[in-house]
Amino acid sequence: VSCVSGGLPKPTNITFLSINMKNILQWNPPQGLQGVEVTYSVQYFIYGQKKWLNKSECRDISRTYCDLSAETSDYERQYYAKAKAIWGTNCSKWAETGRFYPFLETQIGPPEVALTADEKSISIVLTAPKKWKKNPEESSISLEQIYSNLKYNVSIHNTKSNRTWSQCVTNQTLVFGWLEPDTLYCVLVESFVPGPPRLVQPSEKQCVSTLKDQTSTLKVK
Amino acid sequence: GLRRCLISMDMRRIEESFQGIKNAIQAKDTFQNVTILSTSETLHSIKPLDVCCVTKNLLAFYVDRVFKDHQELSPQILRKISSIANSFLYMQKTLQRCQEQRLCHCRQEATNATRIIHDNYDQLEVRSAAIKSLGELDVLLAWIDKNHQGTSA
Repeated sequence: VSCVSGGLPKPTNITFLSINMKNILQWNPPQGLQGVEVTYSVQYFIYGQKKWLNKSECRDISRTYCDLSAETSDYERQYYAKAKAIWGTNCSKWAETGRFYPFLETQIGPPEVALTADEKSISIVLTAPKKWKKNPEESSISLEQIYSNLKYNVSIHNTKSNRTWSQCVTNQTLVFGWLEPDTLYCVLVESFVPGPPRLVQPSEKQCVSTLKDQTSTLKVK
Repeated sequence: GLRRCLISMDMRRIEESFQGIKNAIQAKDTFQNVTILSTSETLHSIKPLDVCCVTKNLLAFYVDRVFKDHQELSPQILRKISSIANSFLYMQKTLQRCQEQRLCHCRQEATNATRIIHDNYDQLEVRSAAIKSLGELDVLLAWIDKNHQGTSA
């Protein structure tokens, strides 16, 4: 349905929110239209191709976001996207993103973290985050396969002494030694890729206690 | 076979300079349906053996054509571009030494890829071509970073 373009103000702050290559286009409603039931339509463009393409699942929608992960899954290409507001026979001009380059701009999610405690050490096993995939049946692609220089910033906190220290690693298993027995330690891990700055997503904090010192328990007997 | 000749360079500094001008430069590029580096046909099909030659050719492309053809009014943007250009000159010197040690062999594949890029450039008006090439520096830097890893900080 055609509409009078420019009859409405444009959506604002239109950007891609990208985490592990799950690429969501999001925007704010046009200013000054509170209480008006506006809908939106979205198009996207593959840089270097010929024309803008409609995203059919995001035609005349009332939400202010649209999942373009499938359309932007070739992470080594660049993209643009745009959205316009529609109300009756009026619509806004398009609000357009800057050039979006998933390979350099996606946020790298945290790894999976598995902790095993001993008396004086904690072993940590990290599993790299996975790239977004369209169908659960598809085989997973680890972000490690995409970013061979993927690194992890592992920080460990002694809840008794309130001391924290961290280590930057590339391998997926590490051991923190020389710890205090019978003490609760909490671990946080961030993934990162050296290169242009990206937003970072730390892992959930995980805590584990080191075991009681067996030698002292034997003496007590 | 030919050992790859790698660039040891602080890529972070160049990337930072580019990040500072990326939006401004890319916003000036109004021809979204054309690319210069056209990655799928060129950069992504480069084999390790050809990395050195393609890098050398691309650095020369930017130094001898893009930076020369680009005219910039904003002093801030100009400063960033000059910093990037100087880094490219430094990388060129590094590769020059490799070439003298015959470690930067140019096969036909590398020459073809370079010609596609020059042909793309020639199809646009020179100022637009320069702006578009500058706007695609993130693609080039990511490719150099990926193919010369283990040497950048």
